[in-house]
Amino acid sequence: MSGAVESEAFRDAERERQADAFGMWIFIGSEAMLFGAVMLVYLTARMAHPEGFGEASSRLSLLLGTVNTAVLITSSLAMALADLLVKLGRRRAAAWALAATALLGLAFLAVKGVEYADEVREGLAPVLGLPFAFEGADPRGAQLFFELYFASTGLHAAHLIGGLAAIATVLATWRRSTDAACLRRTRAVGLYWHFVDIVWVFLFPLLYLVHR
Amino acid sequence: MNEVRRLAAAYVGLLALLALTVASAFVDLGGFNSAANLAIAAAKAALIAVLFMQLPRQGVLPRLVVVAVALWLAILFALTLAG
Repeated sequence: MSGAVESEAFRDAERERQADAFGMWIFIGSEAMLFGAVMLVYLTARMAHPEGFGEASSRLSLLLGTVNTAVLITSSLAMALADLLVKLGRRRAAAWALAATALLGLAFLAVKGVEYADEVREGLAPVLGLPFAFEGADPRGAQLFFELYFASTGLHAAHLIGGLAAIATVLATWRRSTDAACLRRTRAVGLYWHFVDIVWVFLFPLLYLVHR
Repeated sequence: MNEVRRLAAAYVGLLALLALTVASAFVDLGGFNSAANLAIAAAKAALIAVLFMQLPRQGVLPRLVVVAVALWLAILFALTLAG
């Protein structure tokens, strides 16, 4: 019966659904404040070092950044399809769509890893005590750019890994769960996944398209 | 399958905006490149929120969260950048 509540705290399933959604949106709102603050720090540093940030940004791989943006957008499509399929009662297909979402998330992390490796090799990673050397008009500004690049993309990647863990958990309990439970979990993890996509949508132009 | 068409439209729109923002990087808009990029990013975020996260269908509470977050971020950015 689809009207059943999972927690006895709620009068009916609609109330429970609303509480679920509200809780997820509040969580996403607090995450938006976190990433908003990081982006604000980035913007103030960039206003102080426009030349250094421009030079440093052009050392990133625009190709890999663009490919990764497309990969993440595609993963969001797969996640939205999973939500639709589970709503239509096609649980098997929905599980495959969730798995596709996770695989695309892994592909994003793999490409990001290739980028990080390239940047470390070129001496552009002023993190973890790695050597940093930058030839240009404003090496200090460039260093600040790369510090913020690794901080913001690292924080984003950590969120993506959290999303992968959430999808894995949902899939691990998929067969044992009721239709209503599968729908609620897919919705919750989907909202989070789309939010992580939105964060990247802002990070991409801020970091890769400073000025070319 | 209206729903599938809605998701496909969102996907195509997002990829088109991605192509637009990357292409704009190769054109000198005389200081407006960053503003154009951020406007495109905001449009992409709106597409994701409306068509993937289905924000308009979720009732008043999630919308209230979005407005509250936008307000607090606006205060944060305005006071910092004004100072």
